[in-house]
Amino acid sequence: MTPKARALAIWVPILLILLTLPLYASGYYISLLITILMWVILSVSWTIFSGYTGYISLAVAAFFGIGAYMTVILWPALPFFIIIILGGLASMFFALLIGSPCLRIRGPYFIILTLGLSELVKHIFLIYEVRVRGTVGTLLLGAPSSETFYYSLIVIAVMVAATAYFVKNSKFGLALFSIKGNEEAAEAMGVDTTRYKLLTFGISALFMGFTGAIMALRWTYIDPSVIFNPLITFQVTIMAILGGVEDFRGPIIGAAVLTLISEAFGIRYPYHYMALLGITLILLIKFMPTGLLGAIGKLRAVRKLT
Amino acid sequence: MELRDISTILILGLTIGCIYAVIAVGLNLLYGTMRMLNVAHGDLIMLGAYAAYWLFTIYKISPLISAIFAALGGAVIGLITYRLLFASSIRITKSLESLEGSSLLIFFGLLILLENVALLWWGADFRGYAYLTSAVTILGTPVPLNRLSAALIAVAVCLAFYIFLQRTLFGKAVRAVIQDKDATQLVGINTGKIYIFCFGVAFAMAALAGALVSMFYSITPFIGLPYTLMAFVVIILGGLGNILGSLVGGLLLGLVITAVVAYTTPGFAFIVQYLIFILVILFMPQGILGRRTR
Repeated sequence: MTPKARALAIWVPILLILLTLPLYASGYYISLLITILMWVILSVSWTIFSGYTGYISLAVAAFFGIGAYMTVILWPALPFFIIIILGGLASMFFALLIGSPCLRIRGPYFIILTLGLSELVKHIFLIYEVRVRGTVGTLLLGAPSSETFYYSLIVIAVMVAATAYFVKNSKFGLALFSIKGNEEAAEAMGVDTTRYKLLTFGISALFMGFTGAIMALRWTYIDPSVIFNPLITFQVTIMAILGGVEDFRGPIIGAAVLTLISEAFGIRYPYHYMALLGITLILLIKFMPTGLLGAIGKLRAVRKLT
Repeated sequence: MELRDISTILILGLTIGCIYAVIAVGLNLLYGTMRMLNVAHGDLIMLGAYAAYWLFTIYKISPLISAIFAALGGAVIGLITYRLLFASSIRITKSLESLEGSSLLIFFGLLILLENVALLWWGADFRGYAYLTSAVTILGTPVPLNRLSAALIAVAVCLAFYIFLQRTLFGKAVRAVIQDKDATQLVGINTGKIYIFCFGVAFAMAALAGALVSMFYSITPFIGLPYTLMAFVVIILGGLGNILGSLVGGLLLGLVITAVVAYTTPGFAFIVQYLIFILVILFMPQGILGRRTR
């Protein structure tokens, strides 16, 4: 089988099972999958930008939260799917706005800058709630059925995975990986690195915004410290690095594995779970920087040689 | 604006600025010598604050004395962190720049670990205690003694460390590493020794600052990250790797934040802080003192 046929043989059945799941699975599994899909979309969109270009962005919560706040502001005045689209666009707009100055900065400066931006956005929304709305926190009523959430997340998950796949296997992706390899050299070869970075930053924020808009209604109670929680950023980063950030499969595996572990004991023992996550990150960076997929790839290469 | 308001802002701003400075000097030392941005720096502050809190509430030990224990404990944690997590990769690597990203993620893991261990042990409650709350009046402004003593200790530690860097041979070696690591190795200086020393000092300063702030700010496991972000703003203001710049930057940020809080709300102070941060990164990447340190 060609690699392409093998990939289809894996992903098409998975997709078919996911699409038909609400027909026979119980509500618990649908809820679990909604959570997994949310983390999958966030970590795949993180990978499209940070994994491919090597610019580590810690602004996930900002983009996720801006999408969520579109729901807070527009629900129930507008239909759900229009809000989702607007949520994504608002995040993308914000990414493009801050991207053009920020993306000229490299290395640790960029990482800290994105972390600071995320906190900045949180405080702006806190002030907005106190000053404009008079209260902190919003209860969103009239949420649609679980199936609606489930299918909208599947559509977006497929979109983001396809985007990650096509970006990687195109000239565009080549340009991004050249930025990761050696940005000066890429520029010298005539790659307009700033434009590529900006576009990718925007695409990545678009999907995070979609997810935020959906999850806001799912979570029903929204306030800035919940939705802009840096823990969201932490978990997305760790999921992507755990799986491997070279293509879309890594973050999917990382997100699924960590969400299942979190479901199994993270809810009863949240602090143990998070402490374990911290240790996992340290060990990953030290001993398995290419993630699970990279480690599997290495094992295969070794087996072929012997 | 009355003259008295100005003196209040000046005095309160400078006292808090001294604390900012000692926090930022430690953070800057690690960046200057090893190109490492320690995002877990604030969590050492948190640990130092809890140490002072427990020693005070259980054994009635003055936080000014437990600050010394906190600093020693911080130094030990620093040495262990260096030995366990960084010593081997630094020995292998050719350029420290290549470790920038991965060391930041390792510190990120350390941050999550320390924060949640603190939550497990001590819970999420706000904690605090009253110590030296009586005030002295300076230029018409009442200043609580705990703030004043904390500020004096902080600035004394900063200045002592600065003089150490300027006057001693070992301090000269540390400055040499900040300026050019490869050239330092060429003249036969053991950079490994300097790295481990810097880890110890940086962590000790953070833990000491934690014991000091515990006297007048409440303590939770989450207080770390805001201090870290504040310290990043300070070291970027003063210039990465520029130790004196961090002292100046700390005092300056303390003044600005105090002024903003005095005239608006604390929420705006965060916004102003991040705006300064973003603007300085974008337009003055060498810091306000504008001296290239590399």
